[in-house]
This record gives sequence, structure tokens and C-alpha cells, in this order.
Amino acid sequence: MAMLDRSAWYELARTTNWTPQFVDAGELFPSVQSDPFGIPMSEWETYDEPFKVSYREYVQLQREKDSGAYSVKAALARSRYHETADPGYINILKWHYGSNALGEYAACFPAARMARFSKAPSMRNMSVFFYLDELRHTQIELFHAHELVKLDRQFDWAVKAHHTMNMAALPGRHAADDIMMTRDVITSSIMVNLAFETGITNVQMVAMSADAANMGDFCFSNLITSIQSDEARHAQIGTPLVGILIRNGRRAEAQRAIDIGLWRMWKSYSLFSGIPMDYLIPLEKRDRSFKEYIEEFVVEQFERQIVDLGLERPWYWADFLKDIESHHHNQHMALWSWRKGLYWNPDAGVAPAERAWLEEKYPGWNATYGRYWDVITANAQAGRFADTDAKGMPCLCNMCQHSITARGGTLWDARVHQTEYEGRRFNFCGPVCQWIFNLEPDRYAETETLVDRHYNGEIDPADPDALLRYMGIGVISEGGRDAGAFSWARAYNPLAEAAE
Amino acid sequence: MSSSNLAKPLKTWSHLAGNKRRPTEYEIVSTNLLWNTPNSKLKWSQGKDTPIIKWRYTNRDLSPVKHDDWNAFRDPDQLVYRTYNLMQDGQETYIDGLLNENQNNQNDLAIPTAWLEVLARAYTPARYLIHATQMSLGYLVALAPCSTIANALMFECTDQLRWLSRIAYRTAELAKSHQDLEFGKIERKRWEEDPMWEGFLELAERLLVAWDWNEQFFALHLVLKPAIDEALMHQFGQASRLSGDMLTGMLLDAQFIDSERSRRFAGAMVNFLCSADGYENHKIISEWLKKWVPLGDRAIDAFCTILDDDGTAASAAKTKVKEFRKSLGLL
Repeated sequence: MAMLDRSAWYELARTTNWTPQFVDAGELFPSVQSDPFGIPMSEWETYDEPFKVSYREYVQLQREKDSGAYSVKAALARSRYHETADPGYINILKWHYGSNALGEYAACFPAARMARFSKAPSMRNMSVFFYLDELRHTQIELFHAHELVKLDRQFDWAVKAHHTMNMAALPGRHAADDIMMTRDVITSSIMVNLAFETGITNVQMVAMSADAANMGDFCFSNLITSIQSDEARHAQIGTPLVGILIRNGRRAEAQRAIDIGLWRMWKSYSLFSGIPMDYLIPLEKRDRSFKEYIEEFVVEQFERQIVDLGLERPWYWADFLKDIESHHHNQHMALWSWRKGLYWNPDAGVAPAERAWLEEKYPGWNATYGRYWDVITANAQAGRFADTDAKGMPCLCNMCQHSITARGGTLWDARVHQTEYEGRRFNFCGPVCQWIFNLEPDRYAETETLVDRHYNGEIDPADPDALLRYMGIGVISEGGRDAGAFSWARAYNPLAEAAE
Repeated sequence: MSSSNLAKPLKTWSHLAGNKRRPTEYEIVSTNLLWNTPNSKLKWSQGKDTPIIKWRYTNRDLSPVKHDDWNAFRDPDQLVYRTYNLMQDGQETYIDGLLNENQNNQNDLAIPTAWLEVLARAYTPARYLIHATQMSLGYLVALAPCSTIANALMFECTDQLRWLSRIAYRTAELAKSHQDLEFGKIERKRWEEDPMWEGFLELAERLLVAWDWNEQFFALHLVLKPAIDEALMHQFGQASRLSGDMLTGMLLDAQFIDSERSRRFAGAMVNFLCSADGYENHKIISEWLKKWVPLGDRAIDAFCTILDDDGTAASAAKTKVKEFRKSLGLL
């Protein structure tokens, strides 16, 4: 064998900038897409990706990976695993596929814009592998989810949720549109590749993989581990940009991109990862708590990474640490109570043993969140199931689109965060969502929350049934119900249950 | 739909349930993935005056070429990510074999100097041209009107990175064996200044800023790429064989395999859009071609000057490009 090493020719493959002769350079790379910072071309040409791969290596490596991932699927198809699995767990899969499959697909599009508009030739090449990876994740997830639609129609949401106005789809789409679809490619890359993929996705992909393996779902566990191996590669696309921005006097812009990107995706993932890990995975199968994972992956690892790059941890770190303890607990209460609007059946996950675990992992849980569940439990035990449903509309945050909540009980700390802009009042769940809005009110002010739509006539008539239909419930599938038909509530009174 | 129907499981995604046959892997993992299409009522979650949203709206949604149901498009090759890698890994193994044999036999040392000079002018600078098509395809993916079109474009864009890489590889190899010819150093200057590249340079630059999605799509697929196919892959490939440089000829033949897939895709797009009732898509595409075809012909003419003095190669290439468009019912 006498082939040249990659290093002998790689530099040439990423030396592709030229001086345009027939159009203006500014026309070829419009600032609005390519570089609103006005950084010289020679600086972009220093871009050096930490992880190098050639086309030839990529197609071989990925073919081998797919061969493994698809063969696991074929073996498990014969095992009837999903037909007998814990219902709480199956519903995590519905949520995961509904949120994630087309979320991955969304990421193909900023990648493609980077492949066209980045002034860094090497980033243009790497972005090709970025969109390919995201296409892989979309297609392999849909391939798996499609098998499950034969068991339960709610799996149809794997390919539908992103097309709907469902309460579980809107927040993720709002955040993804913000960081992926509507910003220049440099800012987008820092937000998506660095803040999101380096900071957040490994929580879902690594931690959920451990939980899935404990559940015996090796298919899903392998699938998301394989996905993460791609993410770890292309997540590095954003890293060299920070150095270029800092060298060219744009440290503040790089910092802001990290701060916005991390917060926006944190909010989505605190629900998407946090609730399954702390409530939906059966107790005996839980690996660690969500908080423990976040402390390791984000608080320690990610903070160290951004400091190494010459930036600081986000200004809102104290709010973030508080949010780790609270947001997903509050949102679990909200989502479970509005479960008729969901496309999966959430398990309440608050039987006595589970509450003891929650109290151990989150000291003070019983005295705060537990109080809400005390009322729900009493209603369920008395057979007043209708009283366990939420009544009326919540107040939604104009940024993250989640219900505005605060930790209740003994640690009550509710506070109103509002901004008046052009004659309209905007509500926020906390100071960080409000800060993001106030930075660029014109970007965000037009968007209406589900509640706004309910009251402004877009949802007609403004009644609960019409709202559910508007969200795709009763159209694509039935809505959510308690996954275990309130078996958790019966666990409080084993004698009565035995008598029954 | 009644709730009793909704309680029943499905055999496939609901949007494919009306099909008479079992859906293919391609349909399961490729159709209806893009939620924001030109006809969709789903708004972006940020303000309509956000510059990138306006860009997409102006250049995609307001494009004069229209279709009521973009999601109905199907890639004739039905490629998915898994099969793309499977196919191209095999193709790349073949290329590795060619390059290995060439190196083992030290064939580069036997290339006549006159032909080496031609390679330095007309082959190694092509990495810029191929990269320009890669950039164009990146744009077309970014603004694609539906997932089946976006995905086919993703594979096509990736093909360009493939050939950019292989040309870079050959450039490095030739630089090693022939240090006096400035391989690896002179390509940018040739691309920017050599009159033989001027036509392709102008066409590529103008196309890269033709922001209307459909216009760029058709200028690329019906003018620029066919011109590269015919002038570089066929005419230049044939000349390299006649000059005793079998390797370049075989590499260009392998590159054309990817181009043939791109042509099938482009043909399916023409058919899809020109058969859409109620729109004048054929007329609009034809009008665009009137503007772009002369640029394509000029690119071929300028490039082919390196192959002969009497315009035979250029004429053959232009005829072939014209035949391709004619086979699709266009100019």
C-alpha cells in the first residue's frame, strides 16, 4: 500500500477560498449570513478543526457504524421487547422520538447554511459531515420508531410532532428556530455546536443510554450511544470560532452566543431529559438523578471547556444551579396535569418509594413539590380523577414557552418577570428568559404563545376541546393519560388495594 | 376521525397509510420531514422581519416556480443515509485501488511533461470549481422546499466534497513527484486568472449569488454541472486517456457516476415541476435558461481551448449538454 496520509493532502482540500472576479466579495458572503462581525477573510482562513476526517474515512466508518446499529434493531425486532416493557418506559420512547427525530433533522439546515456561507473553508467542509450526521440520526430514529407505530398510534408523532402546534412541540421548535434557523452561521455554530451539542446533548445521549441499558432496551441504548459518537465529532465545529472571535475583539459576542444557546436548550432538555430520568424510568432501573448528571456534564465539564476557550461561565450561573433543582420538577407537575394535551402517557412517578428517592436526591422535595402531589394523591385515592386534571390555562413564558412556575410549599419564591414592549406585556419564567427577550425584542415579540392563541381567536372556539384539536390531539392520536392508570396512587394504601 | 379509530395502531406513518403497497425504507425515513415548506401554514417562531427568515421567505417561498405539494417529490434513486454510505464506501474502495496501483507502479513519473502542464492548468485547479458547486448545493439544501429534495441535495453536495478531496489528493501526489510544476501552489491563481477558467469562474460566481432557490437549482443542474460533466469529465477525460494518462480518465469516469445520479434527480425535478397543474413552471425555467445557457457555453468554450485549437471538443461538449436539456423538454 502506498497511499498518501491524509495529512499530505488535507490542507489543499481546505484551501478553497478565492478572490471573486465577477461579483463582490460581500455579495458572495453576505454579512447577514456569513459574518456580521466584519472579521477579515485571512482570520477565517486560520480556522482549524480539532477533529479531522476525510470523505473516504467518513463513508467507511459510518457504514460500519450503521451496520452495527441496524443489526441490533433486527435482532430486537424478534424479541418482542416493546410489547412487554414497562409502560412508563415506552412512553419515554414516544416523547424521545417525537421531540428528537425531526429535531435532529432541523440541525441539517444550519449545517447546510454553514457549508455555503462560512468564510472558513474548512468549516464549510466539516459542515457537510455535520448535516450528514444529523440526517443519519433522523433516519435511524425514524426507522426504529416506525416499528413501534404498529404497537401504538402515539408513535406516529415521531414524524408529526414538529409539524404541529402541540404544547410539547412548540417550546422545542421556538428554541431550535432561534439558535439554528434564524441567525448568521457563526453565531449559530457557537450556539448549536458548542453550547448545545457540547454542553447539553450528552446528558440525553449518554445518561439516557445508561438508563435504557438498565431497562434491557439495548436497541435504544446502542442507538443513542451511536448518535452521540457522531455528535462528539461535529460538536467541535464551533470551538475554533471562539478563538477567532476573541482575537478580533468579539469576545462579548461569543460569550453572548454561549449564554443564549446554553440557556435556550437547557430549558428544553431539562424537561426532555430531566423528567424521564427522575420520574419515568422505573425506580430500580435509574442510573443517577438528572441533577447528578447535569452537575457532572454541564456544571463541571462544560464550564471547564468554555473557560479553557477563554470565555467565562454564563452570568446566570446561580439561576442555572437553582433551575437544576427546580424547573423539571415544576414542569413535570404541569405536564402531567395537562397530560390530555400530550402525545404520550406520562407516569406520575410519585409512589412512596419514588418520593423517598426524590427526597434523597433533592432534599426538601416533599415539603415543596410533594405538597402538590399530596393533593393529587388524595384526589386519586378518593376516585376523584377529574380533579387531578389541570383546569384553565397556565401563564406561559414568552421565551421558553413553558408554564411559569415556582417552587411551592416551604420554599415559595414566586416572582413576576415582565417586560413592556410596544404596548404589550410579556411574561417570563425568570430573569434569564427575560434577559434574552430584552436583548432582541423585535426577534421575539411577534410570537404568540399557545395561551395567546387561545384568547386571540386563532383557536376557535376558545374551549378545551378545540384547544386539544389545535394541538393535534384527537387528530393524530389520542392524548395522554396516566401511564399506569394511577397504580402509583394505590401504592399508598396497600391494604386497601389488597382488599380490592 | 373518531376516537375509536385513533386507538387502533397503524401499519405505517399515517401520511403513508393511503399507499396501496408497503412503504419502502426510503419513504419511511425520508418523507414529510421538513415542517416549514413554502406552502405550510406553520410560521417560524421568530419575527418575520428577522433577516434570515426574510431571506428564506423571499428566495424560496416567493420564488416564481411553484408546486402545491412539494412533499410529493420522490428521489428516483431512493437513497437514504445508510445506502449512500454503503454505495460510496464501495466506490471509494475502487478509487483507492486505482490510486494504489498508480503509486505502486510509479506511473506519475512516466507522464509526459506536456500533459503534466495540462494537468496543472486544467485538472488540479478544478478543486475550486468543484468546491463552488459544493457551496451552491449547501445553499440549495439550506432552503430546500421539502425533505425528499433536501436529502437528495445533501448527498449530491457530499459528492462534491468527495471529488474536491480526491483532486486535492492527486494534487499532493503530483507535487511530490514533479516538484518543478508548482502543483499545490498555483491552482488559486489559475482559477482566478487563467483565461481557460474564466467562463467557469464567471458562471460559478454569478450562480452562487442567484439567490432565488429554483433559479439557482436549475442553473446549477441544467447548466453548470452538465458543463462540468461534458467539458471536464468527458472531453478532458478522453484527452487524458489519449495522452497516456489512464488514471485521470478513470477518476473522471468515476466522478461521472455521481453526476449521472444528479442528472436523474434533476430530470425528476423538471418533470415534477413542469407537470404541476396551474403553474407556468416550464416557461419560467425556460426563461432562466436563456440567461444561463450562454454563460454555460462560454465556460465550455474557454475550458476546451486547452484540448484543441479548432473548437471540436467544445462543440461536442455543448452538443451533449444541449441533448441533456432537450431530453428533459428544455432548451
